[in-house]
Amino acid sequence: MSDIVEKTLTALPGLFLQNQPGGGPAAAKASFSSRLGSLVRGITALTSKHEEEKLIQQELSSLKATVSAPATTLKMMKECMVRLIYCEMLGYDASFGYIHAIKLAQQGNLLEKRVGYLAVSLFLHESHELLLLLVNTVVKDLQSTNLVEVCMALTVVSQIFPREMIPAVLPLIEDKLQHSKEIIRRKAVLALYKFHLIAPNQVQHIHIKFRKALCDRDVGVMAASLHIYLRMIKENSSGYKDLTGSFVTILKQVVGGKLPVDFNYHILLQVLQKYILLLYLTMILTISAIFIFLSLAILFECVHTVYSIYPKSELLEKAAKCIGKFVLSPKINLKYLGLKALTYVIQQDPTLALQHQMTIIECLDHPDPIIKRETLELLYRITNAQNVTVIVQKMLEYLHQSKEEYVIVNLVGKIADVLVLNTVDTYAPDNAWFIQTMNAVFSVGGDVMHPDIPNNFLRLLAEGFDDETEDQQLRLYAVQSYLTLLDMENVFYPQRFLQVMSWVLGEYSYLLDKETPAEVIAKLYKLLMNDSVSSETKTWLIAAVTKLTPQAHSSDTVERLIHEFTISLDTCMRQHAFELKHLHENVELMKSLLPVDRSCEDLAVDASLSFLDGFVAEGLSQGAAPYKPHHQRQEEKLSQEKGNFSWICVKLESYFITQVLSLVPISFPDPHPALTLHPLKGPSICCFPLCVHVFSSCSSHFYVRACNIWFSVPALIC
Amino acid sequence: MIKFFLMVNKQGQTRLSKYYEHVDINKRTLLETEVIKSCLSRSNEQCSFIEYKDFKLIYRQYAALFIVVGVNDTENEMAIYEFIHNFVEVLDEYFSRVSELDVSFFNTVFHGTWQAHSSPYQEPIDELPKICSALEPQQACFSPDSSFKGAASTTPIY
Repeated sequence: MSDIVEKTLTALPGLFLQNQPGGGPAAAKASFSSRLGSLVRGITALTSKHEEEKLIQQELSSLKATVSAPATTLKMMKECMVRLIYCEMLGYDASFGYIHAIKLAQQGNLLEKRVGYLAVSLFLHESHELLLLLVNTVVKDLQSTNLVEVCMALTVVSQIFPREMIPAVLPLIEDKLQHSKEIIRRKAVLALYKFHLIAPNQVQHIHIKFRKALCDRDVGVMAASLHIYLRMIKENSSGYKDLTGSFVTILKQVVGGKLPVDFNYHILLQVLQKYILLLYLTMILTISAIFIFLSLAILFECVHTVYSIYPKSELLEKAAKCIGKFVLSPKINLKYLGLKALTYVIQQDPTLALQHQMTIIECLDHPDPIIKRETLELLYRITNAQNVTVIVQKMLEYLHQSKEEYVIVNLVGKIADVLVLNTVDTYAPDNAWFIQTMNAVFSVGGDVMHPDIPNNFLRLLAEGFDDETEDQQLRLYAVQSYLTLLDMENVFYPQRFLQVMSWVLGEYSYLLDKETPAEVIAKLYKLLMNDSVSSETKTWLIAAVTKLTPQAHSSDTVERLIHEFTISLDTCMRQHAFELKHLHENVELMKSLLPVDRSCEDLAVDASLSFLDGFVAEGLSQGAAPYKPHHQRQEEKLSQEKGNFSWICVKLESYFITQVLSLVPISFPDPHPALTLHPLKGPSICCFPLCVHVFSSCSSHFYVRACNIWFSVPALIC
Repeated sequence: MIKFFLMVNKQGQTRLSKYYEHVDINKRTLLETEVIKSCLSRSNEQCSFIEYKDFKLIYRQYAALFIVVGVNDTENEMAIYEFIHNFVEVLDEYFSRVSELDVSFFNTVFHGTWQAHSSPYQEPIDELPKICSALEPQQACFSPDSSFKGAASTTPIY
């Protein structure tokens, strides 16, 4: 039996032996099966969810009574805790028991304490309010002479611990790093790792101690410290280059069989990955040794490492052979790993894909969807202008089949990436295919896709490529295909797709020679009157109609549209309709305002509205009052009201402010700094321009006027 | 990084659950049912790593019990796969032919084993050269008392 199993068994609470001298699970069975056992048996026997719920609720109410009863001994409390854990696991809330769990951890003897700590770690989470109550218990247990208690405290610290309380326990844990028992050292390292995760700045000063842990004679402590190093190296790889030597030594020891084999190779390898160094000798050693051990997980990591570090040909060869073995293996898990490995290496070494292309093609049609997805991921990385049609075709097939949102979002993003590659260039071979594919992508994934995708697509159409005729053809094809799509009855497109369509039709319908703008407007109007279209899409549609109106010489559709939407309840639509109405009366103005195919030109905006200066000067000369900015107006208004009341400087409790501020409108023109409403701290002095009338001296409320509204506020002013 | 660890039986009853990131209680049962549904719909020939939402599930079936571990992207799937097996072997040694009901009755012990075996955020301890004595997970009968070994065959998995 390996060492790790031995160690685990010794670390397991041999506490059962403490209470039952008979020892072992057999004796424990007898005492446990009384309550928990009957509960579990009861649940297992039931068939319907409804009955289960009834039984559990019954159990919970009896438990609630038991835990709150003052006569309950700690032993009974422990039993109740176990049942509460079980109920919570089934999904029923048992929050009444949390505080009792904490109490149990605090007061119980060893066995009860253990159950209490376990319950606490299962029930509570890091931001729970009750967690603070545990801190004291933990501190006490950390200082106790009983090793098991120290272990339990350390375990709880590494699982859930409030961040604010770290300084309280940090020195105690640092002490434990030098403890004679290796299990305590190991748990201390893990607790410090947790601290590093949640509050890295608090453990900065003890990095030297981590180094000592790394060189510890016990394997478990060393393994634990590796986690910390992994994390730290991920953040800052160059700072730890000097440790490479020690990591390599450790790896050599493991490979050479000097250290016990219960060890995590791959952690080491991941650590080494972060270094881009020429450690080829070690790597060769490792890989050849690994072949003997057949530890495939490690192999995978090795392969990954080989490709991340500075390339060396013998290593690459070996790794390539290895990947080959994976991919060709009949065992499906290994095939998956092989494909994953290929994904990593494919960009650096595309020849590898060629070697295995038959397998890859087989995997594309594999019955297992996970393998298929992995293969698609692989193909996505080797897309180039030659194979893009085939790959996108496969992706679209998969997209049509899949129902899960995450998958759709992912795939849609990938396809769009391939096709609309950062609006600079696209792999697409010809216009027709490009537009059709984009249509397919939009109709499937329109609602869930990232908003950048349609924006990039539109930008691509607008900016186009260098060739002007190509651009025109692309746009013409787009317009034609959208018109065909809109002609189809009873089809609902995603809103984003409709928006894209309306923009393109608005901009580029002038390219059409067969249909007139009036017909396009008619189609857009039909869409506008459709109820399934959202108001955001409607604004896009009406903008498109506005762009098309100067080109259509006279159209009663436009008249109808204006008439319809000037009385619309949606203010945005009404605004658009009014603009259209006024512009429509002056066709020449409209033509100059909405020129054809000028979407890429920048608009020069005059923010100071200097063209209105003449108008303003005229008004001032005729005696109109000059413009007062907003804050000046408010100050004047305040100074007017000042005469009516006295300013009150009050020392307020924080929740008083909450009450007042929740009533006072947010735009209160207060030049005083904003107040923070943290529940534990609060501002001590605040000046409020309030009008206070105390109606009766015995009243506990102030009647306060703020912004001309009367409020009744509890008088907690001291 | 491990997100959660579940032991669920074929009927969908959760025997053990441990979450390393806080998930609301009402969301947990939903998550568990979805997870077990996706595991049950897989056949023997399909691989044991499922992509579910934005993380991965690695599952292993022992008789009528599924052990599922949810991990994020940075984990080595094979390592977790072996780790699950390691965990089961430890339990087997302690309980001598552990069965599903043991999980329910002794869930405190199971949690304790888990705590001693690994810690949250710690990637699993690999238990590698024992592959030769690996247990073949079997599709056995549905009785909850069936032990994990099922028809214990000692053929190696690879």
